[in-house]
Amino acid sequence: MKAVFIVFNQAHTEKVDFILHKLQLDGYSRWDNMSGRGSRGGVPHMGTHTWPEINSAVMVVVDDEMVDQLLDAVEKMDNVNRDVGVRAFVWDVLRSV
Amino acid sequence: MSIYSSAVKRPLTTILIFVGLIVMGIYSLVKLPVDLYPDMEFPFLTVFTSYPGASAADIETNVTNVLENSLNAVTNLKEITSTSSDNTSFMFLEFEWEANLDEAANEIRDNLNFVAGFLPEETEDPTILKFNSSMMPILFYAITADESYAGLEKILDEKIVNPLNRIEGVGSVGIAGAPGREIYIDVDPVKLEAYNITVEQIGNILRAENMNMPAGYLEMGSLDYPLRIQGEFPRSDVMRDIVVGSFNGSIIYLKDIAEIKDTTRESKLEERVNGELGLRMFIQKQSGGNTVKVAREVRAELEKLKKTLPPDVTIQPIFDSSEFIVGSINNLTSTLMFAGIFVILVVLFFLGRWRATFIVIITIPISLIVAFIYLNLSGNSINIISLSSLSIAIGMVVDDAIVILENITKHIERGSRPREAAIYATNEVWLAVIVTTLTVVAVFLPLTFVSGLTGLLFRQLGMIVTLTTVTSTLAAITLTPTLSSLILRLRTKKNESRYSYDNTIRKGLDRFDSFYEATIRWALRHKTMVSLTAISVFIVSMFLITLVGTEFIPEADESRISATIELQTGTRVNETQRVAAAIDSVIMNDFPEVELLSASTGTDDNMNFATMFSSTGTHTIIYTMALTDVGEREKSTWDLAEELRLKLEKFPEIVNFQVATTDAGMSFGGNTITVEVYGYDIAETNMVATELAAKMEKIAGARDIQVSRDPSKPELQIVLDQTKMIQHGLNTAIVSAAVKNRVDGMLATRLREFGDEYDVIVRLKEEARNSISDVENISVATPGGQMVRLGEIAEIKEFWSPPNIEHKRRERIVSVSATPYERPLGDIAKDIQSVIDELEVPSGISVEISGTIEDQMEAFADLALLLLLSLVLVYLVMASQFESLKMPFIIMFSIPFSFSGVALALFLTGTTLSLIAGIGAIMLIGIVVKNAIVLVDYINLMRDRGMELYNAVAVSGRSRLRPVLMTSLTTILGMLPLALSVGEGSEIWSPMGISVIGGLIFSTLVTLVLVPVVYVIFARRGERDKKKLGEAYDFLNE
Repeated sequence: MKAVFIVFNQAHTEKVDFILHKLQLDGYSRWDNMSGRGSRGGVPHMGTHTWPEINSAVMVVVDDEMVDQLLDAVEKMDNVNRDVGVRAFVWDVLRSV
Repeated sequence: MSIYSSAVKRPLTTILIFVGLIVMGIYSLVKLPVDLYPDMEFPFLTVFTSYPGASAADIETNVTNVLENSLNAVTNLKEITSTSSDNTSFMFLEFEWEANLDEAANEIRDNLNFVAGFLPEETEDPTILKFNSSMMPILFYAITADESYAGLEKILDEKIVNPLNRIEGVGSVGIAGAPGREIYIDVDPVKLEAYNITVEQIGNILRAENMNMPAGYLEMGSLDYPLRIQGEFPRSDVMRDIVVGSFNGSIIYLKDIAEIKDTTRESKLEERVNGELGLRMFIQKQSGGNTVKVAREVRAELEKLKKTLPPDVTIQPIFDSSEFIVGSINNLTSTLMFAGIFVILVVLFFLGRWRATFIVIITIPISLIVAFIYLNLSGNSINIISLSSLSIAIGMVVDDAIVILENITKHIERGSRPREAAIYATNEVWLAVIVTTLTVVAVFLPLTFVSGLTGLLFRQLGMIVTLTTVTSTLAAITLTPTLSSLILRLRTKKNESRYSYDNTIRKGLDRFDSFYEATIRWALRHKTMVSLTAISVFIVSMFLITLVGTEFIPEADESRISATIELQTGTRVNETQRVAAAIDSVIMNDFPEVELLSASTGTDDNMNFATMFSSTGTHTIIYTMALTDVGEREKSTWDLAEELRLKLEKFPEIVNFQVATTDAGMSFGGNTITVEVYGYDIAETNMVATELAAKMEKIAGARDIQVSRDPSKPELQIVLDQTKMIQHGLNTAIVSAAVKNRVDGMLATRLREFGDEYDVIVRLKEEARNSISDVENISVATPGGQMVRLGEIAEIKEFWSPPNIEHKRRERIVSVSATPYERPLGDIAKDIQSVIDELEVPSGISVEISGTIEDQMEAFADLALLLLLSLVLVYLVMASQFESLKMPFIIMFSIPFSFSGVALALFLTGTTLSLIAGIGAIMLIGIVVKNAIVLVDYINLMRDRGMELYNAVAVSGRSRLRPVLMTSLTTILGMLPLALSVGEGSEIWSPMGISVIGGLIFSTLVTLVLVPVVYVIFARRGERDKKKLGEAYDFLNE
């Protein structure tokens, strides 16, 4: 089991929803209106007057073999236009109840 | 969930809400009446008191002064003016515009009750009359006839007046100058004396003969017959054979001693139309009626009714107040349409995409239609104020939608799907959009707080622009994203032709952006030069404003001239009519522009509304001329009026004349300067007024100099000798009745024919009553049956009857007024003021300027206050937006230059600074500031994002150039048709267009160059606020 944490410009919301749905990843947690800035360039997404764009994030806990499929999809989405901005991070899930 | 995301997620609901709004708007539009100005009740009340037999001076001390003192404290009263003339006191109370006249009338009534005991006993109860704008006739017709002329009154009554009265909204239909039928018994005084008969005897005999009388019942057999004496004259010629007495055994018939004339009434009023005898019909609407609708229905009905008239009767319109209204409204409507088209073209030019343009311009009808709903709910009408407000708003309502749409397009081009882009792009800018709208509201909402006449005019403007811009913002954050999500598409790059939008206009705009960026960078390097140039331009333009004349409200060319001509007071009607005929022919020969000429000579015995407000007499001629339409003639109404003045000066018989181009009181365009001479002594004030008038004649551009106090009028007084009267057993009552019966005539009886009654008047024949010796020869019967000549018991003296006494603010006053021609009102007022300063005024007399110029000064003071209020509010809104006291200051640097632009535009076009142009200047504050906000906000943004100061300024300038140009151009082009229009009524509002366009062009240039420079001067180098922050966290460096 892996946890995939995807932080994305909220302009990506519908696409992320679509990806999760397509991969039949029905369980996830989501945070809306998260601010943050990237370390690889691109504009900060602070939801302020200066930096009006803002992020959302989902945390999906998936089987190990799904991770690659999910990250592939995220990368494809990012490639459409890198200015919009999305990052995904994967970490191990040790236990769950 | 936020309003825009709900809107995008439920597109149908969103669209249907706006469809509902449009349906309501169209419903309101259909229901709205059309009028020239917003509905207003003139805040005037009049109090009329009669005290028979009292002279003007008696009336003044015993009636007018008492009433004035008691009414002076009525709530909301602005000013009392009064006229005391022989027998009557007439008071005119002007209230503040906000006053409730019903309450005021009640208060007046209470006060009148209170002072009733202090008035002389013979005084009749004072009457309070409300002066209502609907009393002013909306339609005037001239009616002429040849062979039917004599019977015209009856024909018109049956066939025109009654049917017209039945039309809904018609208040009343009146006819002036109708030749009523009357039967005159003109007696020969010589024969009367020979047969020893008096006028009174003849009158009494006629009265006694002309009667029907039931005389009981006669029972015969089984029937009951009513008895009736049928003595009434069936026709007038029966009277010829009435026996009036016998002399030496022979019978004297009426025809032996008198001439019986069954003819039209001798009137001292003569109405002529285009030189022919005619009469005037005027139609009043009911209070609150729709002028345009009533006039249209009357015209249509009249067309039908005309067919039932004898062929020789013609009816021509002299004046149709709806024509000017319809003309003005049509003119403004097409102005509005052109403005709409210009705005659409500008949006298309900058966006270059049909779908985007559609989404933006759909906010225009939605926002504007809300104005109609407001007008309908608040009981207002479509008028020139509401329509010009709309053409002001039309360029402003697209701004918000453009900002939102631009951001959505940016997101779509970055690959978002339209739906997402719509929601998130709106989220990013919606607050900024609301704040810019607030600055506009801060300027226009105060307009609704203004009081007085100015307020009445501009309350609608303020309300309409506020409502439409707020609606446009609402539409921009709901409908614009919704429509964007539905119809915007990502454009695929394909090989476009050389002439496509991208390869032509966009390239040009890009080049212009670069040019502008270079300009800013240059200006930032030459800060001192740029600022000094700006300051000197400002100073020069403020100097220009002193050269621009001032005016209250520009006068409109209403295609109408009216002239009041006075001959020597006391001139007989026939003589006046002869002069009138001569003037008629001059006007008809020399003024081809005059379509219809209607003249009314003399005075009508029947008092009516019109005669109450104008002093007419046998020596006055009143002309009303209808001119051809503005577009069909080369000379303006004012030029024609001036030519007419020159012609009138050549008539030696004319003592005084006044040529007016507007209806005083009816419109606000009335533009007179009145100099008021206060003082108790009539002779002294007369002298001052005459001297003033003579000096004012010499002032350039001052025309129609009028002194309000009429010159004394010659009068013949019969001074009875009491001793001689007593000797003959006579008294004043008997003698005066005898004189009246012989000269004026005695109403003997009435001839009844077909249900109508006609007066039968017995009097001396004309040759026996047209000289002083004729009057002296009048014989009066003594109780003893003898005849005494009037000359034996009385003396006939020529007198000058004293004039009416006018009051203003309870003081005696004479006013001298002037009308300007081809020179601004303000300039003439200045000259007049210097004349007054030079004038040697006796002690106890004071002289001051009043009239329209007073209204103008009041209105300008209001305007200055309004300007201050708007500035403060705008500052507050901006200070809170930027959370800074300095930023709004930088932004407001563009405001003085918008006034420079106004001054320059007014100077170049030769337009005067009027109330309307002033309002235009105030509106500029909102529009100009909006541009500067867009720019400064972006510079702040760039600096917050870490850009270096100069670079940030240059980059922001480049990026914001198009939005600024777009909002400015939409407003400028939206106003252009307003400024350029030349049709009916355009004189009133085109100054607003001119001042807004001038101010906006100028201030846009200034915003684009000077505001960046000022920003740099005020800002610190480097990043904003970072240095301070570093100092605060010094501990990290230790």
